[in-house]
Amino acid sequence: MFKLIVEKELREIIGSMKFAVTFGISSLLLVLTFYVGARNYQVSAEQNETARRENLRKLEGLTDWGEVQNFRVYLPPQPVSSLVMGISNDIGRTSDIRGAGEINARDSKYGEDPVYAVFRFLDLDFIFQIVLSLFAILFAYDAVNGEKERGTLRLTLANAVPRSTYIAGKIAGSFLALAVPLLVPILLGALLLLAMGIPMAGSDWTRFALIVAAGYLYFGVFLSLSLFVSSATEKSSTSFLVLLVVWIFSVMIIPRTAVLLAGRAVDVPTVDQLVSQKSRYSASLWQEQRKTMADWRAPSDTPMDKVFPEFEKFMAGIDAERTEKMNAYGQRLNEERSNAQAVQERFAFGLARVSPSAVFSLLTTSVAATGVHLKDEYKLQALQYQKQYAEFFKGKTGRNPSGSFMFRMTTDDDQKEKKKINTAEMPAFAFVQPPIAAALGPVIMDFGILALFNIVFFAGAFVAFLRFDAR
Amino acid sequence: MFTTIVLKELKSILVSPKFPVTFAVASVLVLLSVFMGIREYRASLDQYQAANALVKQEMREARGWMSLSNRVYREPDPMQIFVSGVHNDVGRLSGISTWEPVKLSASAYSDDLIYALFRFIDFTFIVQVVLTLFAILFTYDSINGERESGTLQLMLSNPVPRARVITAKFVGAWLGLVVPIMIPVLLGLSLLLVYKVPMTAEHWVRLGFLAGASLLLFTFFIAFGMLVSSVTRRSNISFLICLVSWVALVLIVPRAGMMMAGQIVKVPTDAEIDSQQDSFSKDRWNAHFEALSEKWSTRMEPLEGLPDAERTAKREEMEWAWAEEDKNDRDSMHAVIDGNARKLREDLRNRKGERERLAFTLSRFSPVSAFQLAAMNLAGTDIGLKTRYEDALEAYRASFNQYKTQKQKESGSSGGISIQVDSEKGVKIDVGREMALDLDGMPEFTTTRPSLSESVSATGVDFGLMALFSIISFAGAFAMFLRYDPRYAN
Repeated sequence: MFKLIVEKELREIIGSMKFAVTFGISSLLLVLTFYVGARNYQVSAEQNETARRENLRKLEGLTDWGEVQNFRVYLPPQPVSSLVMGISNDIGRTSDIRGAGEINARDSKYGEDPVYAVFRFLDLDFIFQIVLSLFAILFAYDAVNGEKERGTLRLTLANAVPRSTYIAGKIAGSFLALAVPLLVPILLGALLLLAMGIPMAGSDWTRFALIVAAGYLYFGVFLSLSLFVSSATEKSSTSFLVLLVVWIFSVMIIPRTAVLLAGRAVDVPTVDQLVSQKSRYSASLWQEQRKTMADWRAPSDTPMDKVFPEFEKFMAGIDAERTEKMNAYGQRLNEERSNAQAVQERFAFGLARVSPSAVFSLLTTSVAATGVHLKDEYKLQALQYQKQYAEFFKGKTGRNPSGSFMFRMTTDDDQKEKKKINTAEMPAFAFVQPPIAAALGPVIMDFGILALFNIVFFAGAFVAFLRFDAR
Repeated sequence: MFTTIVLKELKSILVSPKFPVTFAVASVLVLLSVFMGIREYRASLDQYQAANALVKQEMREARGWMSLSNRVYREPDPMQIFVSGVHNDVGRLSGISTWEPVKLSASAYSDDLIYALFRFIDFTFIVQVVLTLFAILFTYDSINGERESGTLQLMLSNPVPRARVITAKFVGAWLGLVVPIMIPVLLGLSLLLVYKVPMTAEHWVRLGFLAGASLLLFTFFIAFGMLVSSVTRRSNISFLICLVSWVALVLIVPRAGMMMAGQIVKVPTDAEIDSQQDSFSKDRWNAHFEALSEKWSTRMEPLEGLPDAERTAKREEMEWAWAEEDKNDRDSMHAVIDGNARKLREDLRNRKGERERLAFTLSRFSPVSAFQLAAMNLAGTDIGLKTRYEDALEAYRASFNQYKTQKQKESGSSGGISIQVDSEKGVKIDVGREMALDLDGMPEFTTTRPSLSESVSATGVDFGLMALFSIISFAGAFAMFLRYDPRYAN
């Protein structure tokens, strides 16, 4: 009997016009999303490459590594990030590498092109979270009470079929009827990625599979919720209204409100305060060193040609001292801010997880590595690169690249042809996406929460249906 | 009869079971959005004032005039409570210095990423997403639903022209939905007074226009629901069509239009432009140095073979002229480099403008985009915000730098470090004297906002489009209803 009910449900859904329309639209949207994501990836990869090449090109022809200035690194686009964008368009991508000190990335996609910020992009997160959940509701809001209204429920229940079998068959049937067809555009999309030559590594496919799995779980949440509401209400118009309100709250209201509440509840020092404190500290350090500098004399027995190197050594010494103090101070301030931010974030996301849509969003962004931690990750890797760069620089020139004092003496009679530097020797910056394992805890938790939502709503539907008045 | 139908329609909306729920939800959301907007506005205003105070203090403690730099923050505006637009996406501040061009950086979203993930809710968002959905929810079955329940046939059996019936139905539905929604909106506006948000008369006028735009959009969706209801026989089909169209109009068309434009018009990134400019300037410098050494050898050539004393004398005689010549060369090279930077930036801007126009044209196929664009223009949080600010900042930078140079001259100290190398005394460093900078008479940056008439005229197209869409929808519903088969049987 279970099989029969599943089959009936399948046939009913797939044969309906509702199905034809919504399936057509969601397939179109899904394929479009994949196409747009892939194109965006290609374009940004190309732009990223041009910027990187030009940045290197300007070093060509230099004869002294000491002349290298304005070296920059860029956050490269990632294949999966273009499918689930998260905050990747909100953070800066270009970082100046000076050799020491802090790194502040600039030129965020939305900041640079506010035109995209207005309507934002289409990505899988958006399509699943908003469009497919709405369609799940559309299919199941009258699954039980609609049958009652049409009178078919009584007929079915007149057979020797336990109610539990019936409701289980219904949920299985509707899930199959919607989930299996959706695989078609998703697979088409995956093929499109291959056809367009998007370099998806093995781990990228794992991420992709996890995102799709999360999408299905999320879809299941709204499907079972709809069945629940449908069997807890008498009229299908009521159940639709209830579901719509729940949907609006889940998708749009709860996440945003949670974040705003957390923003009010947890005080985080503003970036402006930090910038200002640092700059004032730097000025005060300068004042301290003013005297030391004015008092400097070369040791009396220094021969003239050694005076300048002596001086350079001295300046490098105070420079290093200042940099060290500055770093320690900056680090302390940054840490304070990031600790406060972490508390705020836990609070915000903890609250937001009441909504399955927020859970889904957090889950997919952590799988795609485009969550709120992307910025720190990029900063960290850029800092590591900066160290590498500083070492390389020191190896070439014998001094730190960070010094704000640089003396270069060239004389006209130095006529011999100088050797040009080989830019290929420079260490290259390659951003490595943190492995999924790095975010395993939250990923598992979010999968768990989505599964829990499914179970709770399904149990609710089950219990409500057992007591449903079929007349 | 007209009033009877209007009243009947009103009643049917007001007493319907979905009315209390939707009305409550809409009210809560409208109030919530305004309340949160006010809180955010006040927080950003505090932040703005604190940041300005810090910059002032920082500048007074600066090393000296030469290294003095300023930071300008974008001033928050009460209109962002209702329309956040691109306000949180565009950088909040720009450095003002001699050595760097202005650039807005550190957007609110990039500083506080938790907001970036879920974004803010503002009034515009509620209108676009929630109110439009409710408009459809109440009108999708306004005609075919009455046919299904048999009341349409009864109504038309009275001696009343169909034209009057459909008009009355529309008016009734409009009043039934708009009047209740006005309650939370007016309450929300009164929150502005309660929290003493500094609103000028101009702000209220802008809000009035925003309310007008919201009403137009709402009207469109009411008319659209009726149109769909009058072209279909069954309410469940019209419901499906309405919902799918809603998804398309609200969520898909605006984004798709923007992305399509992005595909068609290629625009380089700032990073590309920056590195192009760097390479260009490097090439110029190299050429300059080459030319310089060539010049020197030609200058020295006639002096070859002269006795030492004569050579030195000749050389000293010419030195001034040569230095002048070299300086002119350098200046003209700087001009070329700056010119190239300007050209690149201008090209970029033109490209962006082109893409923007195309994007707007495409996305305006949805009245929701038209509403969004109109709202942003009214609030001054439109796409032009960035260029507007950057232009004003560039002008401010010029006057700031002028002030700085003058002050530096007056103080008689470069503020830099002077290093003297003497064969007798060795190296001596002079770091200048300690001083607090007196920032009297420093030019202040004044926020630029488009004037009311500029803002309003920029929204002309969008108001027109929304009106047009509404009229077409209503006319369609009207025409279809005249021929509608009201019989209950299929």
